[in-house]
Amino acid sequence: MTATSLPLLLQRWPATTSPITTLKHFQRLSWKHSNSRVLLIAPTSIWTIAAQRRRAPARCCSSAAKDGDGEAPSWTAWIPRSFSLERVLKLISGATSSPIGQFIESPRTFLHSIDPRVKMVWLIALVVLPARSHIYMRIGLVLYLSFLSVLVLPARVWMDQLGRVAFLAGILFIMLGFGSDSVPPAVQLRTPPPSMIGLPDIPKSLAGYSYMIMKLGPFQLTRKGLSVASTSACLTFTIFQSASLCLTTTTPEQLASALWWFMYPLSFVGVSVDEVILTLLLSLRFINLVFDEVRNTALGIVARRICWQKLTFLETLDVFVMYVRRIFKNIFNHAEQISKAMIARGFRGDSSTHKIYLLSNSTFGLLDFVSLLCLLGLFGAAVLSERALI
Amino acid sequence: MPAALFSSPAAAGALAASSWRCRLGVGGDRLLDTTAQAISIEGRRLSFSVASKHSAALPILKDCSLRVPAGQLWMLLGLNGCGKSTLLKVLAGLLKPTEGTLRVNKPKSFVFQNPDHQVVMPTVEADVAFGLGKFHLTPDEVKSRVSVALDAVGMLKYSQRPIQTLSGGQKQRVAIAGALAEACKVLLLDELTTFLDEYDQLGVIKAVKNCVSSNGEVAALWVTHRLEELKYADGAFYMEDGRIVTHGDVPSIIDFLKQKQANYIEHFNL
Repeated sequence: MTATSLPLLLQRWPATTSPITTLKHFQRLSWKHSNSRVLLIAPTSIWTIAAQRRRAPARCCSSAAKDGDGEAPSWTAWIPRSFSLERVLKLISGATSSPIGQFIESPRTFLHSIDPRVKMVWLIALVVLPARSHIYMRIGLVLYLSFLSVLVLPARVWMDQLGRVAFLAGILFIMLGFGSDSVPPAVQLRTPPPSMIGLPDIPKSLAGYSYMIMKLGPFQLTRKGLSVASTSACLTFTIFQSASLCLTTTTPEQLASALWWFMYPLSFVGVSVDEVILTLLLSLRFINLVFDEVRNTALGIVARRICWQKLTFLETLDVFVMYVRRIFKNIFNHAEQISKAMIARGFRGDSSTHKIYLLSNSTFGLLDFVSLLCLLGLFGAAVLSERALI
Repeated sequence: MPAALFSSPAAAGALAASSWRCRLGVGGDRLLDTTAQAISIEGRRLSFSVASKHSAALPILKDCSLRVPAGQLWMLLGLNGCGKSTLLKVLAGLLKPTEGTLRVNKPKSFVFQNPDHQVVMPTVEADVAFGLGKFHLTPDEVKSRVSVALDAVGMLKYSQRPIQTLSGGQKQRVAIAGALAEACKVLLLDELTTFLDEYDQLGVIKAVKNCVSSNGEVAALWVTHRLEELKYADGAFYMEDGRIVTHGDVPSIIDFLKQKQANYIEHFNL
């Protein structure tokens, strides 16, 4: 504990705490410090002054925006006051080494057993269907994917995944729902009212049809807005969540083998399918190395305990540039070493002579057949919903 | 008791003239005649230099000569920066020697010091199978080899795990499994056990030892700093400043190291 950190500690104690109680707290907390006795006998009034001094700059920053009565507006609390490179680097260094949507080996579920080719067909279908079906179908797809995620993934994983994707889809829904029809675009065609051009007015709907669904201050939710918002939000949700489900239940090799199967006909027109698949696999491996390098380099800088407050802006910028440069240098070094390792392991630069064994046990079984039938049923329901529900 | 390393000085010819001079007399009396034994790794008067900033050649390896017979595990010892890894890379064909001749049996396999440099595929079994791509094997044979190699290093249950979820030691074991799966005649292993704990270290060294002594055709050269691994070796080389200063069976190398330690203590009056 240093002298400068004392005021910060004092802030945690309530005003009613007696000095004796405070000292007890300090004795408990400052046992590691060799100068703890010196700190403890300092009068509390000095600490309070020091605390006020430390808080003073923050007050000055907020006072620029406040009015004359001395009370800062509540929204100033939302402004990050101490955004620093140190905080960014700490966040990076503390990030997980596992990328989002990595393969989860256990518990093994029925989705693990489905052929990766069937999964890829499902992925394409889940991209197309939300864009070309009724809103009820879109909501149904979202609910279906959510239910499947809860059923298949461990609780910690699906809560994390669904939380993030639902947040993103929710933001999109609100922005597009209220934004698509609220502000008329500047180049919108301004049609004169029917009374001016002598045509009869359009009769009002007898069935209670209303173009506007909801109005919220200057914003309004119209049918067009709802359609755009639901399509975009559902599409975002289905793309992200279906991809996550696929990645968490399929190994990269299985995906690569499925892709190879779909791309194989292209080899007859001269496409080097083997090279594409090898590049894909190497990229999947290299992405993790890049993440590791970014994290480890950030950790290396954080571990040096740089006193960021004493650095000028240019010095801080210099550290950041050094950080980025080091990342690139290490990544290129990794790439060089991996290419050497590939040579040492017998690869001579030709994917057709060096066979890549994809040891995926994917055989088309009953489960895959049922899965495809379900997909056909879903397509049928989408077509029917588009025609029956208007 | 290991078999001998070098043939007699008379038979070795020019090789003897260089390497004998460097031996400092350690272990020479223990060397036996191995003219009848197949040699898997042989380097004669190997030198390797790199261009420095001032365009002058900076020597890394100086006149290194060595032989490793088939069916034996030899270790390469020395201080940091003495050229062990460079010599291993020269033997693997990754670096071209500036001078000297080299003969290494094929197929050969090289395991890097850092497993992140060795493992190239995103999952465990795919990476172990990567090195088998140069052979024309059936999928069943590939699966069998991968399973046996992973089992040998205790990683069979992790066969479908993504590489990034493994620890450093586990990645190192995957790298070793990749080398074992290739069933090579020569194994060049650069500080394999750096990231391993004592238990895994023992497992890996026993796996390599089994591989070497199984049919008498495989030779392994193992760079290490862990002297306790010497007891599993058939012999060792000791390098200093780019030169092989001594070689011999394990007792002679241990004597040599003890002598160096005594000299060091005496020098600093400890």
